[in-house]
Amino acid sequence: MAVDYIETESIEAENIEIEDMELKNIAAEEMTTEIIIEEISKGHKLLHRHKLTKKQIHIGRDYHNDIIISDPHICPGHLSLEFVEGHWHITDHQTVNGTFVENPKQQKHNANQHKINNGDIISLGKSQLRILFSDHKVAPTLAFSPFESFIDLMRHPVALFLSMVFFTLIAGGIFYLNKPVEVNFSQLFVPAIGMALGFALWPAGVALVSHLSKQDARMMAQLGVSFAFFNLMWFSDVLESIAAFNSASNSVLPLLVMLISVALAFSLFWLNGYIGFHMTARRRIIVAASITMLLFGGGYLVQYSNKPEFNPRPQYNATIMMPSFLLAQSSSVDEFIADSSKLFDKTKKRALKE
Amino acid sequence: MKAFFSLVFFWLSVLLSSSSYATEQAEQLFNQLKPSLYQIKLIDKASGEKSSIGSGFQISKDGIIATNYHVISSYALHPKKYRIEYLDNQGNKGRLTLKSVDVINDLALVRRDVEQDMAFFQLSQSAPHKGEQLFSLGNPHDLGMIVVPGTYNGLKKESFNERIHFTGSINSGMSGGPVVNKQAEVVGVNVATSGNSIGFLVPHDKLVNLYQAFLQIPPESIEAQMAQQLTANQDKLMTEILSSTWQAKKLGEQGSIPIIDVPFIRCWGDSNADKADALILTAVANCSLDENTYLSSRFFTGSMEIEFRTMQAKNIGANKFYHLYQQQIARAGAGNRAGKDNVTEYQCHHDLVMPDNQAINNKSIFCTRAYKKFPDLFDVLYLSASVDKDKQALVSHFTIAGINQANALAFTRKFMEAVSWQ
Repeated sequence: MAVDYIETESIEAENIEIEDMELKNIAAEEMTTEIIIEEISKGHKLLHRHKLTKKQIHIGRDYHNDIIISDPHICPGHLSLEFVEGHWHITDHQTVNGTFVENPKQQKHNANQHKINNGDIISLGKSQLRILFSDHKVAPTLAFSPFESFIDLMRHPVALFLSMVFFTLIAGGIFYLNKPVEVNFSQLFVPAIGMALGFALWPAGVALVSHLSKQDARMMAQLGVSFAFFNLMWFSDVLESIAAFNSASNSVLPLLVMLISVALAFSLFWLNGYIGFHMTARRRIIVAASITMLLFGGGYLVQYSNKPEFNPRPQYNATIMMPSFLLAQSSSVDEFIADSSKLFDKTKKRALKE
Repeated sequence: MKAFFSLVFFWLSVLLSSSSYATEQAEQLFNQLKPSLYQIKLIDKASGEKSSIGSGFQISKDGIIATNYHVISSYALHPKKYRIEYLDNQGNKGRLTLKSVDVINDLALVRRDVEQDMAFFQLSQSAPHKGEQLFSLGNPHDLGMIVVPGTYNGLKKESFNERIHFTGSINSGMSGGPVVNKQAEVVGVNVATSGNSIGFLVPHDKLVNLYQAFLQIPPESIEAQMAQQLTANQDKLMTEILSSTWQAKKLGEQGSIPIIDVPFIRCWGDSNADKADALILTAVANCSLDENTYLSSRFFTGSMEIEFRTMQAKNIGANKFYHLYQQQIARAGAGNRAGKDNVTEYQCHHDLVMPDNQAINNKSIFCTRAYKKFPDLFDVLYLSASVDKDKQALVSHFTIAGINQANALAFTRKFMEAVSWQ
């Protein structure tokens, strides 16, 4: 029995030695056996990230696994990854739905016995895993842009409150100016607040979308920046009116001033994207430009589609403002008659064409 | 209801007894003239059914029949779609061909084929005298030929193109029928009614002129004839308007507007001085030409409207005043009815304009649309809004239908220079 004890001890001692050796091995090969497994969504958005230092990793639905994925289409012991001779290999354990791999270089194919490269995406069931090694290159650090200070200013509760109050006051003022009858304060206050809340839906919506796409919602920043721009748009509206009031129908000035509104809208959408979503600068510009086009082009399309086949009414710009906004020199009757006379040829040509 | 009927019968019997002599005469006339009276029908070729009806009467032994232009207007504009037929007092039908029209006076000449010389209506040599009894003949509402006695009440004063005011019921379907005196001579042609026994006739001399012109040179194309008549008529009208005196008149507190002193332009006025809660005190003067040339059921021309409006802010600031003021001038519309087939869409020009006298500074808008079938004729619309006083405004506006470029611009120039602050 005593011998048995000794033997047992010696075996234990050996075991300890083996473990020591293993530890050394791990230390030696740490750089290569370290593996990062990311659970990602169908849109390749990161859901979970695991960093493992084992040589053999089991992935599946049951609780023996190193990475447990509760996808009903995955088998309990679905696959294992093994580090052999400096490389990681996949073994699919004859699963019901199989395991597939794809990477930028190769089409989607069966993953069994596949040698893993950095960045490979493994599909199992309805889930996807991305495999990265620790030497995977990351994008360079982004410096804070000058917009950050503007955003910080605008999201400050005092600034946000002020710009919302300013917006509501202007909305109320416009309701007042356009009401042909006498109105009391609450009759203006209610629709003005309603309008402010209605406009708040846009930044709230953007914040919601960024929240849903697992990004920081930054509601206050969205609100602050949006209302700052809504207020700037009031001013561009006034500018547009002044331009329309002071120019003749053959002037390009109103068109140029309209570009200010377009630029403001683009900037707002760009900042909304900047605050709410991580994306490349190119993509942000494209998204902002698309929304701007949708807003202005869509407005034009709606107008165009509602246009009757024949309009018996004249379409003219009757913008007038109080005399203090009158900046331009008036034309003489002669000039007006000369300009108007050109319309006869224009309509006559159209009559002949139709 | 019964009471109503008995009342109607009572009045009818009173009328009948008082006019029994007239009735007798009417009967006699009617029997004498019957063979030369026709119902004119426009038949839609595709459906084979009638699309409009009217009356007509023969004015020559060789089958020339006079009627209203508006009875056969669809044929004149779309000759491929319709054909014209007549129905005489014996129920005979036959084809008619369109020979000549006078759109301004709403007359048309059509011809039936005749094998031998026929009886026809004599056209009167002179105009009737006021109070003279006349008889209007026609086929109202397709109910058969009837005769309606009535009275000549002179020429309608306000109309640019002469119309006889006839007191007697003219109903639709009688259009194009003759109106004769006791000697059975045609003195007019039924053309319109304003209800309650007020009827309007085209004087017989217009028909005489049209017939004489036709005998000399028959028109080659009806459309060209119409274009020529419309152009000549607007020339005549605008010459008279431009050469008449335009009297300056005060509107509101400080506005000065022109009133064109011709009998056929009539003015009306209104204001909101009685509305205590109005934010803006408004006074409006409307003038219009009581003329509307029928070209088709969806296309009228020859009309003219002029409108002036002054506004004075009561308890509001300049900014609010101008916002409300802008709403007032945002939707001006055409003065005449016209559709896609007849006219182009409007083209507009706007600018700030100050006349040489510097008495007003306006935002002025000028729009025009061209006629498709009648080249060189246009509808024009002008709208001008003063922008030089903080709490007062003067709006001047006109529309003219069926005018040429030179007349439109001449009128616009004179109009612009005649509107100012006092």
